[in-house]
Amino acid sequence: MKPLSTWGSSRNPVKFRIPTSDNLLPIRLDIEIDGQRFRDAFTWNPSDPDSEVVVFAKRTVKDLKLPPAFITQIAQSIQSQLTEFRSYEGQDMYTGERVVPIKLDLRVNHTLIKDQFLWDLNNFESDPEEFARTFCKDMGIEDPEVGPAIAIAIREQLYEIAVQSVASAKESRMIKKGRKGFEHIPISKAGGIAVDLVKSFGNKSSVIRKRKEWDVFEPIVDLLSNEEVDALEATEERNAR
Amino acid sequence: MAMEASNVKPPVSAIEEAHLDLYTIPSYSSWFQWGNIHEIERISLREFFDGSSITRTPRIYKEYRDFIICKYREEPSGRLTFTELRKSLVGDVSTLHKVFTFLEKWGLINFSGTVSAEPAEVQQRHKKEVRVEEGAPYGVRVVAAPNSLKPVAPLPRPVDVGGGGGGELAENGSKFPPLASYSDIYGELLQQQQQQGEEGKELVLCGSCKQLCDSGHYEHTKDEFLLLCKKCFGNGDYGSKSAHDFKYVDDTNQVVWTEAETLLLLESVLKHGDDWELVAQNVKTKSKLDCISKLLQLPFGDLMLGSALRKTKVWDRNAGQAVPAHSVQDTVTGDDQQHEHKNQGQQNANVEDPGPPHKRLCTVPNLDASSSLMKQVGRLSSVIGPPVTACAADAAVAELCYENRCSREIFDDDNFGDELGYSARTDEEERVLPVENSEGEKGPTVSGASEHRGNGANISKECCTTNFANASCNCNFSWCCSCSCEVIGCSGRERN
Repeated sequence: MKPLSTWGSSRNPVKFRIPTSDNLLPIRLDIEIDGQRFRDAFTWNPSDPDSEVVVFAKRTVKDLKLPPAFITQIAQSIQSQLTEFRSYEGQDMYTGERVVPIKLDLRVNHTLIKDQFLWDLNNFESDPEEFARTFCKDMGIEDPEVGPAIAIAIREQLYEIAVQSVASAKESRMIKKGRKGFEHIPISKAGGIAVDLVKSFGNKSSVIRKRKEWDVFEPIVDLLSNEEVDALEATEERNAR
Repeated sequence: MAMEASNVKPPVSAIEEAHLDLYTIPSYSSWFQWGNIHEIERISLREFFDGSSITRTPRIYKEYRDFIICKYREEPSGRLTFTELRKSLVGDVSTLHKVFTFLEKWGLINFSGTVSAEPAEVQQRHKKEVRVEEGAPYGVRVVAAPNSLKPVAPLPRPVDVGGGGGGELAENGSKFPPLASYSDIYGELLQQQQQQGEEGKELVLCGSCKQLCDSGHYEHTKDEFLLLCKKCFGNGDYGSKSAHDFKYVDDTNQVVWTEAETLLLLESVLKHGDDWELVAQNVKTKSKLDCISKLLQLPFGDLMLGSALRKTKVWDRNAGQAVPAHSVQDTVTGDDQQHEHKNQGQQNANVEDPGPPHKRLCTVPNLDASSSLMKQVGRLSSVIGPPVTACAADAAVAELCYENRCSREIFDDDNFGDELGYSARTDEEERVLPVENSEGEKGPTVSGASEHRGNGANISKECCTTNFANASCNCNFSWCCSCSCEVIGCSGRERN
């Protein structure tokens, strides 16, 4: 197949969305009231009616026995993240041929994870939750909170890249005016993090990585002791202030 | 399919054969060849063969595939995990995972009698062990901020926060059931089930006459799986056991559902969704818990309990927005015939609608509401190969004719063949002939030529068949040398 024809099709922009099979938005909460700090992260379906936000906030507060002051804060936080997401909806998003590196660097309770891999932005069938499930199964992680945390971390990065590509679509539309015919859309826009596709997937190269690079792309999973967790938490607190 | 193993050796010279390792793969994977890409691979992983991306070409697929299999064979006694593998390959992880899953499914990797048992066992063990944790998960804990003197309230109930946001949708205007957690609604049911033990809700079948035992059955004291209904016990039909060894187990607390009640239940569930109060009110003769447990027992019951039941929104790619799924149901019932999903609803004297469309929603998630029926049919039939679609159509029409007299008139026997792709088949044969003459080989060549044509590639039929005949390389692959498509496995031939 002529490689050129595939790039041609990628010129058609797509409406903004999270480039996964289900359009779920990652939401992060970090609220402190009266010396109590509530942190959480989950996915939200943006096509839910907004009335659900308050219902969810009330439910959460009730389940966790939080003081009622949290209800409005939680609802507001979710709502503002939703609104921000919605502000991008309807705009064009240029994804084109982009394979980006996704990096994981997170701590969930006693598990520390560092990892790096490639993700195809054009693959609207991709599923971060499935990836997270496979990851936990293969690495033998038993803590059930790790999987969702991984999925949310991936979603957040994808969301950020999607937002950037909305911005870059606007720019390139202005630049493109007047140019004719096929052009090689510069893939390294929007943060310059995309993989050079011709170099990596072209006919002259192998898609098998050199052995010395295997370490870089291998996941690292560490189980921390209680003291290490406490120490890390203290550092995070300090950094947050 | 019988899982006999067949031995496959990578092709090497005769001299080296003595030192060859034998690897076992299942017999249904005997199509696999190192130097070749089979139609099964082309169909299952078509994203590599439709030119949709520079990152997915046949050459790249073969590299992935060969590497993965070789990597597995370095250590055939162990199970190669995806995570261990992906660090060595450049590519989108979702795509790599798809290749990995494909190879694993066909037993080309991780196929070993001893190894496969273990992960299954581990999974079984995990399923049985349900960890009950006190308090909220750590990630959701409320902690005292540092330097705060205020004590933190204890949090007794475990909470599933991850699923809290998951949308439960309803169309505008319909009443929303209160957002409740699983244990609120099903808590009593779970308790009841625990009390009744595992067999409480299961249907009891007699071991000798294979009929349902309704109100009670006899259980052998030493072998708890040997069950007799009251009738067989009365008949003295004990097999090799004696009467004294059986004890009577009373099932009268099992609830009996008439067909009318079941019908009413399904209608209510369709209408009210998850709101069990209303459902129980509708089905006046049964309590809330009975309704839930009956629904679970029905073949598609657990599907209905999920979000498939409520009017979920299906992502409509063309319109770029979520579209209510009930319109999908309408267009899909037409498809039902084509694709041979038996209407299990008839077994329970139920409404026809709840069954197949929901199954469809679960099995083919990329159907959208806006494309025409023919488009959907086209999409679905492109997922599987043409011979399979033709067979499915045959069977569906046969069933239609059996059920319905006017169908028989429509699909008149004389025209039967023509309607259903026999003409398509002869087309294929015609196309195949020039190819066969030049190559003299069947298999990949034949289906390759037709598959190639159907790929939406910019290659005309003329180009493929005539130029293929003239191709200077003798490789038996379906990509034409002279029209700028790639030839796999061909050693020195350059692309135009």
